[in-house]
Amino acid sequence: MENQFFVNAGIQSPAPPLHFGSSMPMSDWQSLSSAMEIQSQDCFPTPNWEKPTDYGLQFESALSSMVSSRAASNCNVSSESLIIRELIGKLGSIGNGGEIPPHSQPLLASYINGNNSSNTSCYSTPLNSPPKLNLPMVDSLVKEKLPPKGLNSSVADFSADPGFAERAAKFSCFGSRSFNGRTTQFGPKDNTEFAAFRSNPLAANAKLPRVSSSPSIKAMVSQGTTTNKNTPLQDRSELANSQEESIVSEQNPNGEPGLKASNSRKRKAVPKAKTKETSSSPSANASKVTEPNEASNEKRCKLSDSNGHENGSAKAEEDAKGDKANNTKALEPPKDYIHVRARRGQATDSHSLAERVRREKISERMKLLQNLVPGCKKVTGKALMLDEIINYVQSLQRQVEFLSMKLASVNTRLDFNVESLMSKDIFQRNNTLQQPIFAINSSASTFFGHQPQQNPALHSNMSNGTMTQCSVDPLDTAICPKLNTHLPQINQFVETVPPQYPTFCEGDLETIVHMGFGQNQSQDMALHSQNFQGSNQVSHMKVEL
Amino acid sequence: MNNPHHLNPTSLKSRFTTRFLRALTKIRAQKPISSSSPTEIFRRYRRIKVAADKSMAYSVRSRRIWSRAMLWKLRSRSYRRQDPCSGRRSGKTNQAIMKKSSNENTTTRREDGVGFVEEADELRQLVPGGETMNLCNLLDETAHYIKCLTTQLFSPIGKG
Repeated sequence: MENQFFVNAGIQSPAPPLHFGSSMPMSDWQSLSSAMEIQSQDCFPTPNWEKPTDYGLQFESALSSMVSSRAASNCNVSSESLIIRELIGKLGSIGNGGEIPPHSQPLLASYINGNNSSNTSCYSTPLNSPPKLNLPMVDSLVKEKLPPKGLNSSVADFSADPGFAERAAKFSCFGSRSFNGRTTQFGPKDNTEFAAFRSNPLAANAKLPRVSSSPSIKAMVSQGTTTNKNTPLQDRSELANSQEESIVSEQNPNGEPGLKASNSRKRKAVPKAKTKETSSSPSANASKVTEPNEASNEKRCKLSDSNGHENGSAKAEEDAKGDKANNTKALEPPKDYIHVRARRGQATDSHSLAERVRREKISERMKLLQNLVPGCKKVTGKALMLDEIINYVQSLQRQVEFLSMKLASVNTRLDFNVESLMSKDIFQRNNTLQQPIFAINSSASTFFGHQPQQNPALHSNMSNGTMTQCSVDPLDTAICPKLNTHLPQINQFVETVPPQYPTFCEGDLETIVHMGFGQNQSQDMALHSQNFQGSNQVSHMKVEL
Repeated sequence: MNNPHHLNPTSLKSRFTTRFLRALTKIRAQKPISSSSPTEIFRRYRRIKVAADKSMAYSVRSRRIWSRAMLWKLRSRSYRRQDPCSGRRSGKTNQAIMKKSSNENTTTRREDGVGFVEEADELRQLVPGGETMNLCNLLDETAHYIKCLTTQLFSPIGKG
């Protein structure tokens, strides 16, 4: 497999379009290398990677780590050259060795990351592939920071390197996946050059762990896992991949329709329009790069065009929108940036992405509403749920009107002791009913005249069955008690009462059964209930619940 | 039994309860329920209902779109009622503004691309100020509105 890549790479024309299976752009490589310098942290392959097998992977991981570390830190571009030179040196040593001595890898890793010494594990695998790749690549990187033309030459160099081809293939396969978990570690401070890289590495990192099918990748992953961010590394590698792809496309705006086609074909999620876009403005796109999220890319491209470099804040905003939407394949939630990544098999134009974000928001809020509205959980489907919500809101509003009507008609003296009123909440909490509880007002007892309510807290207003019966004796307008089942003082409500209050369909006659007025009340209640029965029509207010 | 929830003086429930109690006492003081004519009762009912809405809206202040819309509606209504002569101008302008905004809102059929337009429109009519919201905000406001309505209903005042 590797050999095939090598062969193909060798055959590749110097023109940028390396027609790999997934066509890793050489320019991306360059940009990656330039990005590498900035890294201060290291991102190591995730522990998932089983065994590093080939040089390509090694280098890939190194680059990704470099990129990621670069992403983490915010070095300015000036240090690039320095880092690149160092990198070249390291790579050269690696290349010469044929097999990477274990120490060189950590050197490289440590160099790249600067701080992490634990990176050594990432590069434990010997560099089997020809070292030439490193040198020419590094040289090209050093010479030409990111000139498109230079990239072409470097591309030629890269093409010569079979290992590179292999890596490109691997990276390219990453590029097609979603970049969930890409973080905004790079932030807006990165230069345009790095912006491209930083997005790529993140994406790459994010994707790498998912590419479980590739043993080499797994090897890489297993290598690393040193310090902290596996996912950033993956994201970065992914981003690097995608970036490489995009850069390639950038560089070949005119030619290589085949490459473009292959790019678009390979990158399932990356829209072709995007690559064309990027290719149209390579310089601007270099900063933007390859996020498979075309929408965000397009926006970012515009932003970069205007700003000259990535607008991290705008990116964050856009990404934040899509963050929730794109987590089907996200490894980790992004740190600063929330990159919206097109899901596999879904459209990736800006409109559909934004729409997907909106839909996710809406469904999230519907879930919240589901918890609020009782009985909504059984309903499936948004339309039905909306209907349920509408009914519930209508019923609540009508209940409020109903209760205010009751308040208007009942001539009760309100207990203005808020504290005591509030204490009723205790019962309300135990109330399993969804209906409002009527507080027995102490003054309400005066209606009955005989039952002084010992507990002022136990206030229950006798609801007036018919509001229109104003002329009825106040006693007759006794409100039907809707007492909390837990009001112990009112536990003497005679069982005879319930049958006398069949019309109180507010509903919970069973609660009345449990409730009780005082013993002495029962007779009065019976009396009143009879009166009530006689006088009240069935025009009780129906409380919709 | 200590129930710390409603003992919180700053909770929505306590705010609403105090305000509503104040309003109720005021209403009761104005017209004691001596007459039992239905019209009187109806008028009182209207006043109490407005008082409940007002108390709830003031408890929420301007934090929510629906509360702002409700407050605005109440204020414009009260202005119109208080000063019919000089307020006519303001009332007209208010009405004109309201009509215009409502017309604009109603004519602009919000196609949110999710296919709930009819239900969403219904919900917009229910929630105060809902005409101006997109579906996303509308659902947010609906959730808060439901929460406040239940607070109203379950307040310790005679309502619940």
